[in-house]
Amino acid sequence: MILPPGIVMNTIIGASLAAVVCSMIGVFIVRMNLSSMGFCMSHAAFAGAALGLAISRDPFALALGMATAVALILGPVADKARLQADVVLGTMFSLTMALALLFLSIAPGSVVSSTALSVLWGSVLGITTTDLIRLLVLMLTLLVVIFLFYKEFFAIMLDRKLAEESGINTKPFYYAILFLCGVTVSVSLKLIGGLLIFALMVNPVSSAYQFSHDMRWIMLISPIIGLASSISGIAASLYLDIPVGSSIAIMSVAVFLISVALSPKRKRGQKC
Amino acid sequence: MLIRLENVHTFYDGEKNSTLKGITLSIGAGEMVCVMGPNGAGKTTLLETINGILPATGRVEVFGRDARRHGPEIRKDIGYMLQAKTFPEDTPYLVRDVVLMGRFGKIGMLRRPGREDWNAARDAARFMEVDHLWDRPIGKLSGGQTQRVLLARLLAKNPRILLLDEPYSNLDCRAVEDVSRKICILHERNKLTTVMVIHDTAHVPAICDRILLLKDGRLIGDAHPDEMLSSRTFRDAFAEA
Repeated sequence: MILPPGIVMNTIIGASLAAVVCSMIGVFIVRMNLSSMGFCMSHAAFAGAALGLAISRDPFALALGMATAVALILGPVADKARLQADVVLGTMFSLTMALALLFLSIAPGSVVSSTALSVLWGSVLGITTTDLIRLLVLMLTLLVVIFLFYKEFFAIMLDRKLAEESGINTKPFYYAILFLCGVTVSVSLKLIGGLLIFALMVNPVSSAYQFSHDMRWIMLISPIIGLASSISGIAASLYLDIPVGSSIAIMSVAVFLISVALSPKRKRGQKC
Repeated sequence: MLIRLENVHTFYDGEKNSTLKGITLSIGAGEMVCVMGPNGAGKTTLLETINGILPATGRVEVFGRDARRHGPEIRKDIGYMLQAKTFPEDTPYLVRDVVLMGRFGKIGMLRRPGREDWNAARDAARFMEVDHLWDRPIGKLSGGQTQRVLLARLLAKNPRILLLDEPYSNLDCRAVEDVSRKICILHERNKLTTVMVIHDTAHVPAICDRILLLKDGRLIGDAHPDEMLSSRTFRDAFAEA
């Protein structure tokens, strides 16, 4: 399939930006065991899109709103109930999925379900300039926030209780991490969809983990690995004529497997 | 008094009964106090209450301030060592990161650690004899080495109060002696107020001023070590446990 250069360029830029922001936030997700976050946010977005279809409003705007809302209430609920964030995420996951199905059953017509499903699967070729600007703004925001509060995030990622002991008020930073995760998922959804976004959040960071015990290095290298996975995924997609989202996800898994095979941490007698 | 508790009941969320039950005590500046008692007596809860981490009723004052309302601020001057803290092997943090983190609260928001902070961290690591592990991953250390690094982290903070929860766990006999000696040197040299949870009577430092005896969340004894360790109350507390 021959695509217009404008669409290809938008796809490359969008995928690159999404890979960078997902890998940046993925460092927090992997380190703080928030792996269910990707699943939960994507299903919250799915429910939002379904709601949009049911009430004839912009599905993507509501998808973004729903995922962000879930991210906002997650931290306080987990803290108040003294539950692991993963437990709350699991509950939210089932709730949002149930709501999505409920809204879809209310929505009129059969075309609507395909629109809702595009939130789950993504449609990178339909990425617009507005989407690119959103991704760019998100990337710059993440860079600024991480730069300004680097030492607080650095300490919280080691251990929240130790950070608290150091005199850091961890609550606002922890909630900020959850909120930024939600926003990242929402803004990146259109690219590879909610189901595959997880690949871009977890795989590059997990790959970087194979090569270092230094968090600074992992924070630096993860977005680069994410970028490489994304660009090689697009190239493979264009060459083999397969869906872009799937291709990027498969490429990121391949990079992870290669990293595990090459990891100095797994070589006997190696002090890494 | 540097630490003052009046009729303190500490509750864990979701529990009807308080873990600490009506504790009243005062600890003056420069005192070294050991907290003892059978398992589940509330020793760790007492330290966390002083540190302003747990919700409590009654009055908890540290440096003359309400520990519950001013938790993050007072914690900048408290070195609290968690009980038996370990790190998974793949923890991507180096010893120098962990020691330096002790300074983070003091540095304040939006500021980076400066030369003074790095020097304090390095000095603390040197004092605890872990400076040779400076660039090693924290998860790769033995239990004893981790314990020393965590102590170095507290020292880097230059605290006024030390709250140590079983600082000798994970240490072999020789290391216990050595770490105990270092805690005593620090306590006297830096004029610290030290509250230390210990299990073994052999670990009560010679310079310890008082032993607080807890049982079932109540303070059942408060006396000089010589008096406390030979008392019937002390023997009974452990005999019935």
